Amino acid sequence: MSTALKAMTNKRPFDAGRAAYLALNLSLLAFLLVPIAVVLIFALNPTPYISFPPVGVSLRWFEKFFASSDFMNALWLSLWVAGCVLVLSVTIGGACALALARGNLPGRAFLTAFFMSPLMLPAILTGLALFQSYLLAGIGRPTWGLILAHTLVAVPYVLRTTLAVLHNFDHRIEEAAAVLGASPIRVFFEITLPLIRPGVFAGGVFAFIVSFDQFPVSLFLVVPKGETLPVVLFNYMKFDLDGAIAAASMVSILLALSVVLVLERLIGLKAYVKL
Amino acid sequence: MISRHTMSRRKALRTGAGLAAIAAVGAPSILHAQTRTLKITTWGGKWGEVMKATVLPAFEKEFKCTVSADQAFPFVPKLQSSPRNDPIYDVLHTNSNEQWNSFTEGLVMEKITIKEVPNVADVYPYAVSDKIVGVTIFTSAIGLGYRTDKGLATPTSWKDLADPKLAGVRGGYIIPVNSLGQAHLMMLGKVYGKGLTDLDAAYKALEALKPIKLVDFTGQMEKMLLSGEVSEGVIHDSGVYRYDGQNQPVDFASPSEGVLALEQVLNVTPGSKVKDLAFGYIDYMLRPDVQKLLAEAVWYSPANKKVKLDAKYDAKLLTTPAKVATLIQPDWKWYNARKEDIDARVTKILKG
Repeated sequence: MSTALKAMTNKRPFDAGRAAYLALNLSLLAFLLVPIAVVLIFALNPTPYISFPPVGVSLRWFEKFFASSDFMNALWLSLWVAGCVLVLSVTIGGACALALARGNLPGRAFLTAFFMSPLMLPAILTGLALFQSYLLAGIGRPTWGLILAHTLVAVPYVLRTTLAVLHNFDHRIEEAAAVLGASPIRVFFEITLPLIRPGVFAGGVFAFIVSFDQFPVSLFLVVPKGETLPVVLFNYMKFDLDGAIAAASMVSILLALSVVLVLERLIGLKAYVKL
Repeated sequence: MISRHTMSRRKALRTGAGLAAIAAVGAPSILHAQTRTLKITTWGGKWGEVMKATVLPAFEKEFKCTVSADQAFPFVPKLQSSPRNDPIYDVLHTNSNEQWNSFTEGLVMEKITIKEVPNVADVYPYAVSDKIVGVTIFTSAIGLGYRTDKGLATPTSWKDLADPKLAGVRGGYIIPVNSLGQAHLMMLGKVYGKGLTDLDAAYKALEALKPIKLVDFTGQMEKMLLSGEVSEGVIHDSGVYRYDGQNQPVDFASPSEGVLALEQVLNVTPGSKVKDLAFGYIDYMLRPDVQKLLAEAVWYSPANKKVKLDAKYDAKLLTTPAKVATLIQPDWKWYNARKEDIDARVTKILKG
């Protein structure tokens, strides 16, 4: 048999299903990544307006972004708020998930729906309602009020991911530890927490990103000189629609990505992905 | 017994240091209690930069107060949501249409008079006309911005925007969310019909402007003109003049039928606890030196008649009674009362 004939015989037949599967995946990837590529092009284009094709490559919009005290203050505030929200939502969401999954609480289904309800309300209404509540309570709009508001919408993410982990949890391991003499606190820290950690921290990553990018809830709750980055970007856009917006977006994307990568390195989010 | 009450030197020093520390910690709060805060709204962009860097610090120094300047939209919904007797703002800065909405709901005062703000004596009549609640501190002229490198004749009439050559490269606004778009709709009624309130004529003229590129914000219209995506569009003069000296092929034209006023209006909330400061702030904003500084920074026409701008600005802005006479002020009270119906109709017209 000649080499050419052999090659023809070994050639895999055209698989339409596989091709369609690949095409669909490539389309989805393009749908997710093309907007980011467009933002990057705008951020690097030196013209004072958004134009395509770009006329060159420049870092002038990144320089403008990092030189602006308004942008920098907003960036640090957003990071600070998102960091606090991560800690709070992991603590509250993790505890709630444990109570709901293990506590044999009456009305468990109702409580689960109750804790998930902030995701069902339009976020702008949550922001408006909290704004009015704060003003009526006479506390104004403190930064901790903003943190609590973000926590409210972030907790359901931690709750959901932790409940998913607890669903597959083998209680016999805890029972074995208890039988061997471990106190309930020791069982929690040495058995329960390490096992649910991927779910809790995956929820924490969502909580951080949800808070860092939060716009509708923040809109009513930020104060002068205490505005988060998304709010500053929105207001900037009304007066100066230039590449600084795109540069700020790229910085936001890179920061969110960094958080995910750091957490992956520290706690191994892949373990959660396998679940 | 006496010895029990005798204070050692070390103890006396420690007590003194403690008292001093308490005084040091407490002092700022006492000072803070004496410093009043004026809560205002203000624009961002170049206007916000000048306000934060120069205007507000000077006001705070002179009036011995602090100013909390909110640049984060939306101002009116926040004001609506706050208690009437303790409003979130003392001074509301918006365009005229939003002031009318706020006045209708009792959120701001009707008129600002010379009695409260002495500099009102020096403003052009349009600044306190019956089309205004509060007082206008600046105005822009809404006209036509156009590219100078596309072989277009300088527009002389609002009707020029309907030129078939501009199909697909003329620019307008999403009328329900933009006051320039709303003002332009009224102007179409005047130019093609019986007057600003002739909506039937306006709708018909709007239909004839299709295909048209629509934007939400004036900032977007500026960029579309700069990029050449739009060759001619409805815009305020400051949105074009701000690129003066930057070698951009854009210019502004005032149509012969008149330009529409885009007023910057200040008003005081009735429940303000610092009304004297609020009126003082408006008076301050109407001072000739403050007006000149801001007018030349952002290309707004000052409302104070006594302001003398540098020649470059004086040539282009509305700084004489003759130029001010070309301003047409829309009746926002009338428009706002019909806004829902108008929104539904224009959305249907411009859909697709």
